[in-house]
Amino acid sequence: MSIKKLGLILLVFWISIGALSAQTGFPQNGPKDTRPDYVALVHASIQVNPTTLLKDAILLIKNGRIENVGIDIAIPAEARTIDLHGKYVYASFIDLYSRYGIDYKPSNTQRNEYQNNQNGAYAWNDAVKVQVNAADYFDYNEKESKRYLAAGFGATLSGNQDGIFRGSAALVLTGNESAQKLVLKPKAAAGMSFNKGSSRQNYPGSAMGSIALIRQTYYDAAWYLKQKEEISLSFEAFQTLKSLPTVFEAENKLAILRAAKIAQEFQIKYILKGKGDEYQRLDEIAQLGMPLILPLNFPKPYEVENPFDAMRINLADLKHWELAPANAGLVSQKKIPFALTLEGCSDANEFLKNLRKAVYYGLNQSEALKALTTEPAKMIQASADLGTLEKGKIANFFICDKPFFDKESQIEEHWIRGNQEILQEPEIVKLIGNYEASLGLNQKASLQITKKGNKLEGKWMAADTLPISITEKAGIYTLNFKENKSSENLIRASVWVKQQDKNTLQANALEGTAQMPNGSTIPFSAKWVSVQTEKERTDSLPALQLGKIIYPFTEYGTATLPKATTVLFKNATVWTNEKEGILQETDVAISNGKIVAIGKNLSIKADQVVDAKGKQLTSGIIDEHSHIAIYRGVNECTQNNTAEVRIGDVINSDDINIYRQLSGGVIACQQLHGSCNPIGGQSNILKLRWGMAPEQMKIAGSDGFIKFALGENVKQSNHGFPSNRFPQTRMGVEQVYYDAFIRAKEYEKKMKANPALTRKDLEMDALVEIMNKQRFISCHSYVQSEINMLMHVADSMQFKVNTFTHILEGYKVADKMKAHGVNASTFADWWAYKYEVIEAIPQNAVILNNMGVVTAINSDDAEMGRRLNQEAAKMIKYGGLSEEDAWKMVTLNPAKMLHLDAQMGSIKVGKSADLVLWSANPLSIDALAEMTFVDGVCYFSREIDLAKRKEILAERQRIIQMMIAAKKKGEKTEKKISEIDNDYHCDDF
Amino acid sequence: MKKYISLMSLIFWVWAAMAQSPTTVILNGTIHIGNGQVIEKGVLVFEGNKIVEVGKEMKTLYKNARVIDAQGKHIYPGLVCMNNIMGLNEIDAVRATLDFNEQGRINPNVRSLVAYNTDSKILPTSLINGILYTQPVPQGGLLSGTSCVVRTKAWNWEDAAVSSNDGVHLNWPFVEPNQDGKENQGEKDIQELEQFFAQAKQYCSQKSPEFNAKLDAMRHLFSGEISLYIHAQDAQSIIRSVSFFKAKYPELKLVLVGARESYLITDFIKTNQVPVVLGNLHRLPAYNAEDIDQPYKTPFQLQAAGIIFAISQEGSWETRNLAFLAGTAAAYGMSKEEALMSITLTPAKLMGVDKQIGSLEAGKNASILISEGDLLDMKTCVLVQAFLDGQELDLKNEQVQLYEKYKKKYGLK
Repeated sequence: MSIKKLGLILLVFWISIGALSAQTGFPQNGPKDTRPDYVALVHASIQVNPTTLLKDAILLIKNGRIENVGIDIAIPAEARTIDLHGKYVYASFIDLYSRYGIDYKPSNTQRNEYQNNQNGAYAWNDAVKVQVNAADYFDYNEKESKRYLAAGFGATLSGNQDGIFRGSAALVLTGNESAQKLVLKPKAAAGMSFNKGSSRQNYPGSAMGSIALIRQTYYDAAWYLKQKEEISLSFEAFQTLKSLPTVFEAENKLAILRAAKIAQEFQIKYILKGKGDEYQRLDEIAQLGMPLILPLNFPKPYEVENPFDAMRINLADLKHWELAPANAGLVSQKKIPFALTLEGCSDANEFLKNLRKAVYYGLNQSEALKALTTEPAKMIQASADLGTLEKGKIANFFICDKPFFDKESQIEEHWIRGNQEILQEPEIVKLIGNYEASLGLNQKASLQITKKGNKLEGKWMAADTLPISITEKAGIYTLNFKENKSSENLIRASVWVKQQDKNTLQANALEGTAQMPNGSTIPFSAKWVSVQTEKERTDSLPALQLGKIIYPFTEYGTATLPKATTVLFKNATVWTNEKEGILQETDVAISNGKIVAIGKNLSIKADQVVDAKGKQLTSGIIDEHSHIAIYRGVNECTQNNTAEVRIGDVINSDDINIYRQLSGGVIACQQLHGSCNPIGGQSNILKLRWGMAPEQMKIAGSDGFIKFALGENVKQSNHGFPSNRFPQTRMGVEQVYYDAFIRAKEYEKKMKANPALTRKDLEMDALVEIMNKQRFISCHSYVQSEINMLMHVADSMQFKVNTFTHILEGYKVADKMKAHGVNASTFADWWAYKYEVIEAIPQNAVILNNMGVVTAINSDDAEMGRRLNQEAAKMIKYGGLSEEDAWKMVTLNPAKMLHLDAQMGSIKVGKSADLVLWSANPLSIDALAEMTFVDGVCYFSREIDLAKRKEILAERQRIIQMMIAAKKKGEKTEKKISEIDNDYHCDDF
Repeated sequence: MKKYISLMSLIFWVWAAMAQSPTTVILNGTIHIGNGQVIEKGVLVFEGNKIVEVGKEMKTLYKNARVIDAQGKHIYPGLVCMNNIMGLNEIDAVRATLDFNEQGRINPNVRSLVAYNTDSKILPTSLINGILYTQPVPQGGLLSGTSCVVRTKAWNWEDAAVSSNDGVHLNWPFVEPNQDGKENQGEKDIQELEQFFAQAKQYCSQKSPEFNAKLDAMRHLFSGEISLYIHAQDAQSIIRSVSFFKAKYPELKLVLVGARESYLITDFIKTNQVPVVLGNLHRLPAYNAEDIDQPYKTPFQLQAAGIIFAISQEGSWETRNLAFLAGTAAAYGMSKEEALMSITLTPAKLMGVDKQIGSLEAGKNASILISEGDLLDMKTCVLVQAFLDGQELDLKNEQVQLYEKYKKKYGLK
């Protein structure tokens, strides 16, 4: 450490002490020690705001605020002047997603998995921490402060970042003062997420549970104001929080859409903190009208040398490595307001490197500055104090030796509230160059000093050219070199700067003493003769040629989504599923997503004519029971009744299983909640519009459904660990239903009588809908006793069960089911996987069908889902069913039970063009789905599929080669195995 | 044809008189031999428990023969399912019914034969889809035990056995990709196995070693009498395991089982001449980079590379779909007869029982299926008659009985 550096650090120390000792109302240990704090920074280039750079300007600071800034302003005599010639001054950055200085440790004791575990009159759920105020836990943190200051951040919105409702976050400064001085706003914003964090309570156990909890909490908080029944400190706190800006941590691009949907429901706005993958769903995100907080933690190149291992890295991960640096620029181009955060970067260097990389990848410099200063200030209503270097604002700024976005630029100082902190010792002497040196009187040599990285090195050029090692300590340079080429003996010299140029800082003369190998000491001197030209750095960045963004962002996605066209299928064998039966050599025309004509020799002007001679055209397969494309949890297992959760809230439109289903002729499926509890969650009917965003994959205007379940799963019989959740027997299951529906009736009555004072209950709402025939049950069921029981429950509540799914013993109560009017959706031949299915028979569906029960064959499995045609064919084998009836079991019948048969399920003019062209009889094992149309759009064909495989291969190769090249260039790599898209079943939790 | 007609009238008369004839003649059906060949309108004759003649025309005149007219029907050898746990498990979720996974990691001495439950309710459900032979395979650990080849219908396991010991099963440890060598559990497990094989070899070459059941169970492996079944899914495990045994123990008879990524290294497998038992083909691609139909087309890729392979159905109750796995392989490139071979003759060969079972050839056991149509297609796979060792099988299992019981209850046809 040089003397000068030591001095500067001491200066910072003094300033800090001064600030602390000046605290009013605090006792002092020693005499009053207030120092003058009137400072003028002169001759600086000052970036006053993201778009204005003043050259040779003056910044006047007093009492921690900017008194004035400009070029021609007078410098008061009492101000201390600091010359910043050649330096650049920027307003400090603001980080809106931070834990800085928050020493918050939640208690992790679990007393009860169903109720809250914290003392105090708080919310029932421990993930609702509305009452937590981060400011209560804030203090200066030296290590973290350094990290933020070095990255340019002078203020952070610091929160506990724990739980779903995270309470309030504080706007604080990152400087070194007492907490009282650093906290600008103790409650500057509220924090939220979908992650229950440290809560040890069971609920919510899934992403959809988190969403339900958030919605219910909003309703509860509104109700709380009106009621006089209870005191809740959480909801008291909520009243303050709701007027604050809310930062919502969304774990990925689709979570952003989910959070925004909640905000829209409650007519509020969030500041959405994303993952950095927003570019993958940018159009949808741009439409939200909500600002974003983006991280700059770009993935490192992966280890991809081993081709076998590299296969386990998905295309999405490979492409994200390439495109992540372009994210901020793309967001900016869409005019979405956004801020940048340090969160996710391990240190300041990574952040600065990545920020400059983002600029190189298309982020405009002034947009980058906005995202770090004025935008975050605006988002949390702190523009009066922070964000620019304008008059009256807090004096938060940092000083660079070069323009900030230069690769070599260093942040040398960071001033917080007018207090200077040195981060990088500025260069105080330039040593490099060529010297004429002498040792003693006789030995002359040329001395060359160069710099490699941050290390000095040199050459001693006399008779021999000898390398010199150079080290520095306290302003003294130690030079070691051999006496001659053939000797191992070292000459050791201590050298210091005798004379230097004040402007260029170049050392003009060096002096010192040298100890020779023989022990004698002789004087050393050197005189500067010329500049050593620094080698030009050649690692300039290559021209950018980025891969395409594809929708969905996974294998088989496309850059441009296919559109509905007019298609004419010529001479197909057409399975109408209507009274016309199977038509030979028939044409079918589709246009604008609908079937427009069926007949012989149709002459319709079409965009595409498909020669379907020898091929078979059917309506597409509908899977009544599926768990594909569901994000983070198919089950909300934590309570026996979770009617409030909705699968439709957690659609994962990126799931490759959607595409795989299309390849098996599937065009729609019911995404069901699992079978963990007697009353599960609300299901969603998904049309497999591959590439679209989650909301666009829903069927507009379709009826609502809900999953119920019976038997071993809801009793938790096969959990393998002791369980205490009610019910543990089929006796208890019945009681869950009676209890739920009776409560729902009482709730409905109360709500009707006094809507203002009745607490809105999302769980009860769903049950009321069932009783009012606005929501329909699909019930997981196996043995006859329980099937019978639920029909009795429904009868007693004056509604019908819509569908029994699985229903493996349905054949034993087919007559009762027919009488009740319920549908059946079953497996073709699954059995023996647990005790309750030992009497399952593969003729079940046939008996049900022949008894007049509308019967479907379903999958419950992403693999079998793409072979449902074969599963239907088993009904011919086991029960002698006709081919047409067997085919309806995977098309028209599921459409009926999902109340979609008016628009789907058969080939009829006016119906949705959801068609599959098969290479052979669709019930035969030889049949391949050659083309699959949803709403008249061809989302799958064997031809396109083969082309896409080639594209995927080429794209993988391109990126893998780039990664290997990056590794060779010295970039650090990371080891990666991609997550496999979830393949959920009923009993996964 | 004339000869047939006269013959038919003769034997028909005889059959009417002697229902329990020792000779049965199946006429006019399409005979799928199981070795890749088909005989249209062929004739098959069995006497007692053995096939005596198969061909286009009958060479011998049989007196007192029973005749089955299989006009329009398809005749197949009894199917052979490898890599299975039928008879070792009954209800997946009920622990008391599970007998396939012994405690401990090295158990070559445990034998599946003695646990094989011929009264399992699952067996008859496979039987009616033509699976007449199965290989119950111990699961779990590194060396999970010794398998056998059994009939799916028998009074007890002694009667059931075709081969009481066809091989020892090894689960080659998966070395997690992208982890450093030595601290990886997979690497430790491989070391343990290498050591065990070295000790087993040493033990087996000693004249009178102190008895050790685990080491002794390896004796028939080193003598080449039975196979070492290497269960490995990924390419790197396959390469490493096969290379290891080929280099250190060339005397071992190796069979790869599972072999999900075998399609990536067909040259290696071909060069090393290791046959493959493919695991369940009805599965999703293992990762997104795999083609969506990769599991379905792997058999064709192996065939094109000249690799000998069988198709297996893992699990127990799922076994009844074995033929449809072969059907899928046929839909994705193989011919139907080649696909059939992968669930009949090839598995019989791999288990060393092809002298008795696996194809419809003279001298082999009379295990014969007669189907309404293509056995590999679920739409047409309906057995009308079946014989195991010449004994006609009752195709009305308990599920069919339940079906009929409830049809009767409801008055359904």
